[in-house]
Amino acid sequence: MPTPPIKSTPPRAGGPVQPNPAAAPEPLIAGRYGVETSRPLPGAAAGLPAFVATDQREGRAGLMAVQVDTAAPPRAGVFSTLADFPDPRLLIPLAYGPAQGADERPTWFLICSAPPGPALWPLGAESIRPWGETELVGRLLRPLAAVLAALEARRLTHRALRPHNLFVDSTPGAPVVLGCAWACPPAASQPAVFEPPYIAMCAPSARGEGSIADDVYALGVTLLTLALGRVPLAGLDDDTVIRRKLELGCFKALAGDTRLPPMIADLAGGMLAQDPEHRPTTALLADPAAARARRVAARPPRRAPRPLDVGGIPVSDARSLAFAIARQPEQGAKLVRLGVADHWLRRVLGDTTLAGKIEETQRIRATEGGAEDTMADARLVVRAVALLDPMAPLCWRGVALWPDGIGPALVAEAANPTVRARIEEIVAQEVAFTWATARGEHCDPMELRVEAKQQRGLLRQRGWSGGLPRLDYSLNPLLPCRSPVLADRPVARLEELLPSLEAASGRADLRAAPPIDRDMAAFIAARDGGRLDREVAALGDPATPGAMALQQVSVLAHLQARLKARPLPGLAAWLAAVAAPSLGGWHNRETQEVRRKAVAEAVPAGNLKALLETLDDAAAREADEQGFAAAQAMMRQLDARLARLAGGTGARTETALRLGQETAAVIGLAALVAAIVAAAFG
Amino acid sequence: MTRKAATAAARRGPGLWVQGLLCGALVTLATPTAVLAGVLLLPAVIVHLMDTTEGRPILRTVLLFGLAASVRPLLALWTGGHSMATSLSLLSDVAAPAIAWSAQGAGWLLTQLIPLLVRLALEAQSKLEVAGLRSQRDRLATEWGLPAAGAATDEAVDSPKTR
Repeated sequence: MPTPPIKSTPPRAGGPVQPNPAAAPEPLIAGRYGVETSRPLPGAAAGLPAFVATDQREGRAGLMAVQVDTAAPPRAGVFSTLADFPDPRLLIPLAYGPAQGADERPTWFLICSAPPGPALWPLGAESIRPWGETELVGRLLRPLAAVLAALEARRLTHRALRPHNLFVDSTPGAPVVLGCAWACPPAASQPAVFEPPYIAMCAPSARGEGSIADDVYALGVTLLTLALGRVPLAGLDDDTVIRRKLELGCFKALAGDTRLPPMIADLAGGMLAQDPEHRPTTALLADPAAARARRVAARPPRRAPRPLDVGGIPVSDARSLAFAIARQPEQGAKLVRLGVADHWLRRVLGDTTLAGKIEETQRIRATEGGAEDTMADARLVVRAVALLDPMAPLCWRGVALWPDGIGPALVAEAANPTVRARIEEIVAQEVAFTWATARGEHCDPMELRVEAKQQRGLLRQRGWSGGLPRLDYSLNPLLPCRSPVLADRPVARLEELLPSLEAASGRADLRAAPPIDRDMAAFIAARDGGRLDREVAALGDPATPGAMALQQVSVLAHLQARLKARPLPGLAAWLAAVAAPSLGGWHNRETQEVRRKAVAEAVPAGNLKALLETLDDAAAREADEQGFAAAQAMMRQLDARLARLAGGTGARTETALRLGQETAAVIGLAALVAAIVAAAFG
Repeated sequence: MTRKAATAAARRGPGLWVQGLLCGALVTLATPTAVLAGVLLLPAVIVHLMDTTEGRPILRTVLLFGLAASVRPLLALWTGGHSMATSLSLLSDVAAPAIAWSAQGAGWLLTQLIPLLVRLALEAQSKLEVAGLRSQRDRLATEWGLPAAGAATDEAVDSPKTR
């Protein structure tokens, strides 16, 4: 998944940089924004800690730095999209990066325009002065409808719209300003009361981007809250809030019997419609009178005279039944599997169509596995919930999420292996497609299928380039790399990785191990858009430590070349040290020594590609191997000859004896001939 | 005749009988020559009896040397009438048997010394070859990081000394 363009510290050109032992984040975020951690801004960032920030390049004030929880990374894609946002009534994000936090540790901050004044809902307040109709329409509804319309035009949602995240300046009657919603996953900071039930039932990080209709819903609840002067259903737990909304309808559950101005009641009633299709559009809200007039009369949900008990929860309508099954998946699956649910739907609720659909899921379940097959039960629950409440999220074994919330949910649940395992199952079994198919016309199953297949592919990828870590980074484009190697100078973007590693190369305690670990490998694979998948995957399966070091040099050399990064002498020295065993792979000792010297010469230049070519010259390696094979053959011949000589003493003795006696005989013969000749002529 | 002797006799074949026949004919028909040759070639006869090696290389050399030393006395016998008196006269001169026996002794000595010298030459050549091979091997081992000379090569180098 490509990283969205964000203003960031540009890579600096220049010569070799000495390793910095005290590696620390850049003092300025994106090279221009300073964070004053000594000046906190309580309540300025929708529940997240915020501090005064300044643009030190242009001397601009009126900014804030929102401290980001690394387990809930900011929303990607909003920086460039909102860079030229025309409406000043929205706090827009400017930059994202690490800086020294209040505890003097590297901390991630999102730089955002600061609120013009205090929060509309004072921090800790239980109630405020109720707003009148004119004020609600003039200061809240119209301005925010325009902001939401502008966001919708940019295909964005806000998802943090509530009175606590609205701000007012000192000008009397001035429109409210919508606060920052970008420093955490969508709707992660929203209380359940401000979200539709199908969003509120998900874990905070798993709510997905949603639609602008969900912002309209939140605006409706805000309208109601300000009209009442208090937060509706305050003090109730999330599940109770959701259940009430499902049973009574959202408007009735929130407003109760309170008398509201008729226009506000009509507007809020429309904006809190259960079905997002029935809520007024942002364009319509700009003209409240028209929006009031267009109110869609939704059919009230069918209620059963006798409730069905699901795991101790009595339910009287189909959507409440869906919610109860989602929350109690084992009991819910049993009810559906044994035909209790469809019987109740048919006989008590009187919805034969829905009962028939649920019956069909039973038939599918029967083909998928035996009674004890928990996965088949889980798929049954997914289908049943989607049929009972087509607006409900994907509910898998107690985990409710929207498919585009899988990424943030994975990261948020990093410390919860059970939930991570559930999410892994959702990806591995492409449950999103099953869910989308059961939802009918409420979404495009094929689109979800493509996404599910891609995610499954990443999960199943072998080696260090796949698995859950890869999914974490691929589905969270701004998630910082969790490698401890980068703890002093964390990175969220690939461009920042090599400078950070260069800084980390000064730490002696890190240099015993290769720089790339499992987490960093997944980070590289994800941020590089899969271009280095093969190389990164191989990092996890090295034949030898030397081979692993060479793979690491290869990956980092590719990155340095592709990102046109500056020279990295510290990192080169680190890699040369860990790759030293690979020099032992050269058989020819002279070549080995020459390579060793060449590596030593390549390190100060900081060119990883040159280092790689020195360490792993394929042609020279081939020649070395051939020479080595020839040397071994020659060695065998020499050994054979030496062995022959060692065993040839007896043969030599025999030869010597034979030769000596022959010689003596020849001499004797010569003497005889000489004697005969002498006798004949003498 | 023991069984072993009979087997040996059988292995020698008809050659023994031919030799005996020839010797008998020589003794009968040329008794002076037989007496003179018998005395002069007495060491060869002794070697004949003692040398059981195949091809009898020592006998061959000793006999050749003995014949070389016997040419002149035999020629003197044949030119002096070929009588027993001449034969005994020649034998009474100590120089003739002494020269013949010394020559045969020298022949025997050569059969012992020359093989030794040849063996020394061969061992020296082998040692030179081993040194050359070991040097070549060491050079390869150093250049390619191969194992240094092992037991086999050490044995090869050491063998000429130990054996």
